Amino acid sequence: MLLHLLNRSAASSHVYRDALRAMAEDDCLLLTEDGVYSALMPLAEHFSAVYGRLFALREDLASRGLEGRCAEQIVIVDMEGFVQLTEDADRVVSWF
Amino acid sequence: MATTTIERWVRVEGQEIALDPEGYLVDMTDWSPAVAEALAAEEERELTAEHWEVIEVLRDFYARYEMAPAMRPLVKAVGQALGPEKGKSLHLMKLFPDSPAKAGARLAGLPKPTNCL
Amino acid sequence: MSDRSPMPMLVVLRHAPHGSSWLREGLDVALVGAAFGQSVTLLFIGDGVEALVKGQQTGPLGQKGTHPTLDMLAMYDIETLLVDAESLAQRGLIETDLQLPVTLVAPERLPSLFAHHAPVFNF
Repeated sequence: MLLHLLNRSAASSHVYRDALRAMAEDDCLLLTEDGVYSALMPLAEHFSAVYGRLFALREDLASRGLEGRCAEQIVIVDMEGFVQLTEDADRVVSWF
Repeated sequence: MATTTIERWVRVEGQEIALDPEGYLVDMTDWSPAVAEALAAEEERELTAEHWEVIEVLRDFYARYEMAPAMRPLVKAVGQALGPEKGKSLHLMKLFPDSPAKAGARLAGLPKPTNCL
Repeated sequence: MSDRSPMPMLVVLRHAPHGSSWLREGLDVALVGAAFGQSVTLLFIGDGVEALVKGQQTGPLGQKGTHPTLDMLAMYDIETLLVDAESLAQRGLIETDLQLPVTLVAPERLPSLFAHHAPVFNF
């Protein structure tokens, strides 16, 4: 399993498309920094193909006032969860 | 990468040629065969015909690709230009002990190759 | 020549030339890997495919382009140049618009590409 990190909003950058296309069936995607803007509907719909393995970083949501407004399909993780995901993954691929 | 810092000067045919802290030319257009001779003399190297043909390969490489080659591509370029007998690291190590890519680039008036040890 | 790791390294080039230094930095990483005997695969995807467009020149202020570096890749034995077919099509480009021979990659092949290379460097 590869962990993909995405730090850009789907509203402003198309890089999420390349990230999604590069993901294998068991890969996970973690939204960080400005990537967490995509954790809200309707932007989160762009990620429907990876629901269930789509995560957003709590600290970055909180700093943007978005905690509690996330789409329910998204799993929120804190820094510790981030570390755990990294440990579970064979490698990490960053999209920015 | 060539720096623009002038560390010292070397006098060649009445002209002062600027060198960077690692002994590479600050201005690549200063190069001439006489400059190469002067740089080689500093290292107590005698330039033979075999050195000159490698210097030629290095200058052609830079003219084409705008970069000084690391060892592996230098070996390949020498092989392509001068034949497989000379396109061997052993041949280049004999001509330029220490580091052929770096020493060769200096004598050929190129910047220091960036992607080698 | 020297030891090769079991998997080739993948350098993903996602940025166009001239606008930023990402492309050059990605190519530098590829060259360093190759100079040390690592087997290197390049993947041009997104705006990265613009790097391959024929007829590029230096910038208006004489800034070096990346096109001579692309020509140099073969000298570093970097022969596997993959291009995301979809990115190319999105930009109205076809293979004959490119300065080097490449292998087009269909979308369904992308995930296995990432899975079978290590490390992966994304630029």
